[in-house]
Amino acid sequence: MLLVPCPHCGPRNQSDLRLVGESHSRPDPNTATREEWGSYLYLRDNPADWLTETWYCRAGCRQFFKLERNTATNEFRNPPMPGDKIGIAPYTTIDVGSSGNQAGANVDGGATFTRRMDGGEK
Amino acid sequence: MTASNANGARARLGGLLGRGSDRPPRYSAGALARKGLTGEAWPRVWQDHDLKKTYDVIIIGAGVHGLATAYYLATNHGITNVAVLDKGYVGGGGSGRNTAIVRSNYLTPEGVAFYDRSLDLYNSMAADLNINVMFSERGHMTLAHTDSALRTMHWRAEVNKLQGINSSVIDPDEVKGLAPSLDTTSHPRYPILGALYHPPGGIIRHDAVNWGYARGADHLGVEIHQKTEVYDILVRGGELAEGKGAGGKVTGVRTNRGDISAPIVVNCTAGWGSLISAMAGVRLPITTHPLEAAVTEPVKVFLPTVVVSGSLHVYVSQTDRGELVFGASVDPLNTYSMRGSLSFTEELAGHILELMPSVSKMRLLRQWAGLCDMTPDYSPIMGFTPVEGHLTDVGWGTYGFKAGPVSGETMAECIATNTTPKLIEPFKLERFNDGTLVGEKGAAAVGH
Repeated sequence: MLLVPCPHCGPRNQSDLRLVGESHSRPDPNTATREEWGSYLYLRDNPADWLTETWYCRAGCRQFFKLERNTATNEFRNPPMPGDKIGIAPYTTIDVGSSGNQAGANVDGGATFTRRMDGGEK
Repeated sequence: MTASNANGARARLGGLLGRGSDRPPRYSAGALARKGLTGEAWPRVWQDHDLKKTYDVIIIGAGVHGLATAYYLATNHGITNVAVLDKGYVGGGGSGRNTAIVRSNYLTPEGVAFYDRSLDLYNSMAADLNINVMFSERGHMTLAHTDSALRTMHWRAEVNKLQGINSSVIDPDEVKGLAPSLDTTSHPRYPILGALYHPPGGIIRHDAVNWGYARGADHLGVEIHQKTEVYDILVRGGELAEGKGAGGKVTGVRTNRGDISAPIVVNCTAGWGSLISAMAGVRLPITTHPLEAAVTEPVKVFLPTVVVSGSLHVYVSQTDRGELVFGASVDPLNTYSMRGSLSFTEELAGHILELMPSVSKMRLLRQWAGLCDMTPDYSPIMGFTPVEGHLTDVGWGTYGFKAGPVSGETMAECIATNTTPKLIEPFKLERFNDGTLVGEKGAAAVGH
């Protein structure tokens, strides 16, 4: 059982979280070719090395975030701390310090919290 | 099919006559007595060779799939200029770590046809390979603990019957009659409501299967190279960097013992399947998960069948030595680490005691893990890839061992004839783009 460094809850037992899988971005379903969509759905790099993954803290803060884990040794590195940029697609990032709707901003969009794109909180 | 039957018949005839010119010195009671009395040494089961510069076919992975492919290339198709490479030793991966259960009561017609052929080959293997594989056809029972599970069992039984497989649903009293140690009362959290019973299923000695194929292939001229790690697959003319990827053509492999050239490189690995194919520029829909298993101290025989519980994520059988062998489902975390975990042991013990309260005083001897290449539809990826000359026999998930012989036979046919045999047509890589996935999850996710 791993101790997973949740950026909000601190180190949590692996059973408190769900591993969503390798982080990758979704192609536009309106323009994606069959191959692109098949690749997005199914193909994985699956390296025996450092890998950036999406986790969901289901029993704690209920936030999605990315973590870097070495799949050969199960070590985590550079776990995000509260205040770091942690937003991931299809969730957008909201900069609580600025005004205006940033829905659609990309994952590096200077954020401290993660909210659903269609969520009411801005 | 007919070719291998003819081979089997020839092997048996050779056995009757006490000789077989195309086979290694035979194992027999007479040979055992003679060597026991004279102290004469047994010949090496397979030989070490120097690496040649070129081969017709290179197979990566000396497990049951790779060795069976080499063996059937030699016997059924006469292709013997073949090298089987392994970074470790023969049968050191999934082929030596599985729980050695074989069965053919799958859910989809594709799966059933495929595994039934495999069970046929396992049945005649001792005679074909002249090695005691200790196949014990002791019956295989998949327990149902919920109404929906029982419904799935009925579904599977009917699919099986249509395909001519001996498989039926039995009630708790019959379960008790077959395996009296199971708790069939209504007390457990998951009471036993019935079971899918499959008499042709059983267990087999997995090491002997590996050694038998290695010995047979070696004698026919196939070279088995252990401790030979493949660093790279050499490809020319593809769309990616260094000429790899779709449209390319395989020219050979780079190993820790030098470069070898070959027009065909077959990936028969488990655990590392996606990494090997990535060397040729082929991405696969695979994630690698460990599967943990454990074995107890030996006791008197009390469990006559293989017992599987999908709801409890456990399967158990008793070996001829009397040990209970337990397996579970794959760990949810994808990793290449094969370390055992306490949470697995704890969960396993809880589930076993719910099934069989009487084994509470038994002690675990050891636990281990093997790597499983999981695909989105719990079905393998077999046959050709977008890179010419690179074939795969990977993605076997948690049940590659029981498919070893038929995979070898069909992959050999695929390589020799350059066409995809009908039996493995549903398992082609393109199915993930075509959306024609094989729905085997209902019968393969846990049920061994």
